[in-house]
Amino acid sequence: MVYAVLFLGPAIASVVISFTRWDGIGTAEPVGIDNYLTLMGDTVFHTAFKNTMVVLLGGGIAVFVLAFGLTMVLREMRGRKFVRSVVFFPTIISPVVLAILWGFIFQANGLMDTGLDQIGIANSPNWLGDHLFLIIVIGLVWTHLGLYVTILMAAVDQIPRYLYEECALAGATAWQRFRYVTLPLTWDVVSAAAVLWTIGSLKIFEFIYAFGGTTADMPPTSVWNSALFIYGNTFGGRTPSFSFGYASAAAVVTVIAVMAFVVLLRRATRRDPIEF
Amino acid sequence: MVTTALPGKPPAKPERTRGTKAQIGATGPVRGIGIVAVWVLVVFNLGVFAWVLLTSLREHRDIFATPWGLPVIPAWENFRTALLEGEFGIAALNTAVMTIGGSVTLVVLCAPAAFVLARSTRKISGTMMATFAVGIGLPVQVIIIPLFVLLEKFALVDTLFGLYLALVGAGIPFTVILLAGFMRSLPVELEEAAALDGCSALRSFWQIMLPLARSGIITVLILNAISIWNETFLALVLIQDTEKQVLPVALLNFIARQQFNGSDYGGLFAGVVVLVLPMVLLYLWLGSRIIEGMTLGASK
Repeated sequence: MVYAVLFLGPAIASVVISFTRWDGIGTAEPVGIDNYLTLMGDTVFHTAFKNTMVVLLGGGIAVFVLAFGLTMVLREMRGRKFVRSVVFFPTIISPVVLAILWGFIFQANGLMDTGLDQIGIANSPNWLGDHLFLIIVIGLVWTHLGLYVTILMAAVDQIPRYLYEECALAGATAWQRFRYVTLPLTWDVVSAAAVLWTIGSLKIFEFIYAFGGTTADMPPTSVWNSALFIYGNTFGGRTPSFSFGYASAAAVVTVIAVMAFVVLLRRATRRDPIEF
Repeated sequence: MVTTALPGKPPAKPERTRGTKAQIGATGPVRGIGIVAVWVLVVFNLGVFAWVLLTSLREHRDIFATPWGLPVIPAWENFRTALLEGEFGIAALNTAVMTIGGSVTLVVLCAPAAFVLARSTRKISGTMMATFAVGIGLPVQVIIIPLFVLLEKFALVDTLFGLYLALVGAGIPFTVILLAGFMRSLPVELEEAAALDGCSALRSFWQIMLPLARSGIITVLILNAISIWNETFLALVLIQDTEKQVLPVALLNFIARQQFNGSDYGGLFAGVVVLVLPMVLLYLWLGSRIIEGMTLGASK
């Protein structure tokens, strides 16, 4: 019941509100698909949508390539338990804290600049000024990597050892071992983890939001994702605009796009399960 | 939605025989580079947090001048600033109340629901499971607007009780799905035996299922506690009064205020430590349990 009232109800209400103009206090005025039409022409929303997709695809590919790479190395490494716990660690830390640290590393005269100074590189780029979104995406990859490494490691651990022994007898290269043994046998888990990343990337908010923190305002619109777009058009900023109808339309569009992506992803990654 | 768990029970766990030729991953120079990269990441993660701890004990001007420096005299007043002026003290209390209240409520509400869903074979329970699964996928910012309006109608915006309700609502899908998955893996025979002995469904839940599911329940309790402790978005929207804010929001406000009061990195990092330290301690204590729980929860 609590779930229905506090979660499912609002989800449906969102769709209804998206067809109105409403500030949350007065009466909602039905405007048909006006909100959606405005959305199509709103460059801020375009950027936010594009950024969401960059995190989803670019960040996702980076996370999975790195996670697989790390898993392959960690598999036979000394101290793997210890390494795994350290790499996993950011997963349980507040994204606000991680963003503050990440920002502090790259801010002007911060850790990165002064560190580079020490080793003789004086003119470091203006990290946060010129490359803010890239820095944010790399930060997101850093903070999420641990969870995916752990998931993949658990999957790789299930692969029976003798398969690799046969590989050794057949003289398979590292790439062949990965391509013909590791990847097919962890495919189910990889596919599930890909869906997890897709959904998770939609929820990212705090990490990006905290980058605007120093100005007591929202971060620049160039780094907004759709979550920030919704917040920025309702409660956020110095003078909240409370455009509930408009923000709901943005939410509906993003969720539908991502749900479509999830369905495609499931289709594309569906394979016959391999018995072993 | 995502149904694949880690594949159930393959033949015995692969033995770890170091030094055999049956390499799984890369070999040679590639492997060397990989190992170096792994250790760089490890050192980076540890370094960042060591740096925070040390920096929280340094004075602002000192940090500003040499970010890489070490504390000369421990500046404990940073913590006084953070707890009193930065209002991290009251925020820590609020966060603790939300965390304990929320995570306990979630288990109390969801354990019976999960039990029924795990054991029932009726069609509707499958549909309900699917609804909960959709709930996991739905980002909270999508429902925040109607949720805000709803809570406002009951004058619950800007109250801790309203935040508590919202946190519980948002945590339900994950808790139900994870607990149901866990309870399904428990043997059904015990309950059947109990039923033969004339044990009611309620009693078999209390006296058989709950004790058996204890480890799963504790894992869920910990995972929910972590996510509520770090939760920011709901608190940011639903709470305005600084007396009622939670730690992550207190941290954001502290940064925002620096623009007017002049920055105080020492106080800032002391605040970070207040927010992070309980999680670090919890992690040191229950680390592998947290990792396994999250990995399982993620792939469920």
